[in-house]
Amino acid sequence: MVETNLQQHINQQLFEKLELAYFCVDQSMRVIDASENLESYGYTGVITGANADDCVDFMFGLDAHTELDLPLVESPSGKKVSVSLLPGSTFLTVLISNASVQADQRQLLQQKANENELLVEQQIILMKQLETASEMLEQKNVQLEEASRLQTSFLSGVSHEFRTPLTSIMGYTNLVKQALESASDESSENDKVQHLRAVQRSSKHLLSLVENLLDHGKLDSDEIVVRPKATDLAEIFNDVKLLLKPLSDAKHIDFFVELDFEQPMMVVTDDSRLRQCLINLLGNAIKFTDSGSVRLTAVLSNDFLKVEVSDTGPGISEENLAKIKLPFWQAADTGKTGTGLGLTITERIIELMGGELEISSVLSSGTQVNFEIPAPQLNATLEPIAAVAPSFKQAKILLAEDDYDIADLIVMMLSERGYQVSHVDNGELALNALESQEFDFVLMDIHMPIMTGYDVLAELQAKGNTTPVAIMSASTVESDRAKAEQLGCFDYLIKPVEIDDVIRVMNLALEQ
Amino acid sequence: MLKKKICMVGDFSVGKTSLTQKFVNNVFSEKYLTTIGVKIDTAFINDTKLIVWDVAGRDSLSPINASYLVGANGIVLVCDGTRQSTVRDIKDIWQVVKERIGEVPTVVALNKADLEDWHIDAEQTAYFEEQGWQTFETSAKEGQNVKALFEALVSEIG
Ligand SMILES: Nc1nc2c(ncn2[C@@H]2O[C@H](COP(=O)(O)OP(=O)(O)O)[C@@H](O)[C@H]2O)c(=O)[nH]1
Ligand SMILES: [Mg+2]
Repeated sequence: MVETNLQQHINQQLFEKLELAYFCVDQSMRVIDASENLESYGYTGVITGANADDCVDFMFGLDAHTELDLPLVESPSGKKVSVSLLPGSTFLTVLISNASVQADQRQLLQQKANENELLVEQQIILMKQLETASEMLEQKNVQLEEASRLQTSFLSGVSHEFRTPLTSIMGYTNLVKQALESASDESSENDKVQHLRAVQRSSKHLLSLVENLLDHGKLDSDEIVVRPKATDLAEIFNDVKLLLKPLSDAKHIDFFVELDFEQPMMVVTDDSRLRQCLINLLGNAIKFTDSGSVRLTAVLSNDFLKVEVSDTGPGISEENLAKIKLPFWQAADTGKTGTGLGLTITERIIELMGGELEISSVLSSGTQVNFEIPAPQLNATLEPIAAVAPSFKQAKILLAEDDYDIADLIVMMLSERGYQVSHVDNGELALNALESQEFDFVLMDIHMPIMTGYDVLAELQAKGNTTPVAIMSASTVESDRAKAEQLGCFDYLIKPVEIDDVIRVMNLALEQ
Repeated sequence: MLKKKICMVGDFSVGKTSLTQKFVNNVFSEKYLTTIGVKIDTAFINDTKLIVWDVAGRDSLSPINASYLVGANGIVLVCDGTRQSTVRDIKDIWQVVKERIGEVPTVVALNKADLEDWHIDAEQTAYFEEQGWQTFETSAKEGQNVKALFEALVSEIG
């Protein structure tokens, strides 16, 4: 029939155009018919009698009664195909057609869409990170501002605190100088001595301020050390009293010092540390007290020193008591000038001396600060040091120091006491001198040109030269002392050195 | 011969294709190529032939086509440990699976475990535990837990 032929012809063309392939399976999923072009999709072995799922992977798990469309399945040839399962009454037809054009279009679109979405997700995450970062930055900024505010008030506090003793040093030095220069010397010798004592006290005050600053840098590193030695306790307290009296006088408040011991009272303690603590505590008390009095009491009993500093100042609220021992605190927040370091450092020093700093206070009635530290009493009072044992008087001393002012001072003070002092200004010269002459004692700076004190010590050690060497160093860093001691130095004195200390050490060395 | 049909499902770009390719061919590619429709691969665990359907992920253009799931013996739910949303979406995806084929044995892959910005915590994976799914931190890139993931599923299927 013509019609049937036409129909077949159309069917044929449609099959070819869609690249349609097919196979049919029975109820038990066995192949009963298959088109030849299945192989063009890579489906091989689809022959009558075969199990469908043995030759076509996607057939596994499917059955003969369920109509199902599986779009865009990747065929074994790599081409995308559309699969349609068409169940009939006795068998299932599986139609496969080429979908690669559709797949390619879809691929482009989908790839773009997905990549876009990933980008958007990424952006959201980035935005969030940016937000947290900017929040953190803001916080940092606030902290920095706070730090810089504290720093500024700290610096102005330092300069203020330094000015007080400096003013006194310059003033008294000037008085003495004028007295010396004026031909008709009206001021008595006694006045001059008094003036010089004031200079000495203020210098010590200045030194303890510098120590506060240095110690502050060491608070975290546990580098603050105390070095107990035989000391006249009464002298410390009297010095401190004379040093701070002018400050209380200037504020028109009373300053009482009550000691239960007489001068001299020899005990073992670190005199410069104790002095530093007393100056810090009394300095604070006077600073904050605008009327009334400041009282220092010290009791020595059973080898313990009990100290109390009390004032009639404004007192400290409970809330502030908690903060008061923090560095910088007062400088920043009380409107008073000062470094705000004193209390933090004092607490630490007292702790190292074996005590504990206690603060109690009642608002608008005053503050008491107490501590108790071991201070073993010495039976014999030390010989006044100036009286050098005569046999040492002929001792020959080598001084190595590159600062001429300091060297002159030491040479002068030692010669005055009858020692023979030779001075060299660098380490190499010191070594040469020690090789060519006999010396009984060497006093040596660490930081010198050409050869440092360390180098000289090392050389001496290598050469087996046993002349006792005392090091003078401005470094309070514990490791520097350890290094010098390892290199065999006899003692390590911290600058500014006191002549009495030099003589004490020297006598010790010469005795051996 | 024992055969099992397994479907990889999850959001787009979580690593379904990568896990499949690592498992089947031991290869990995950094390049992202969106899967269109489905790709079927086979591999063996002992005597069991696995027919793995790597299904196009759920994305903004289209939901998962559930027809692909018909006849599956087990499901691998995949999410990306660096993208929290892909973990949350597992719930919806599981709903689609359950409606079409019921509750079949399932394991979870928390993929891309090799990456730094891992954002998964216990709270997010609590749902997996409630469902009693074994969960694996996997890396298609480094192969971590890939084999274990499929072996666990096969033994769940039994
Ligand atoms: N680093 C890393 N990247 C992966 C991992 N798995 C997949 N990828 C990457 O993630 C992207 C999407 O992977 P793909 O397998 O295509 O995800 P699918 O859409 O779920 O099939 C690709 O760029 C892969 O290289 C993985 O474990 N680690
Ligand atoms: Mg994929």
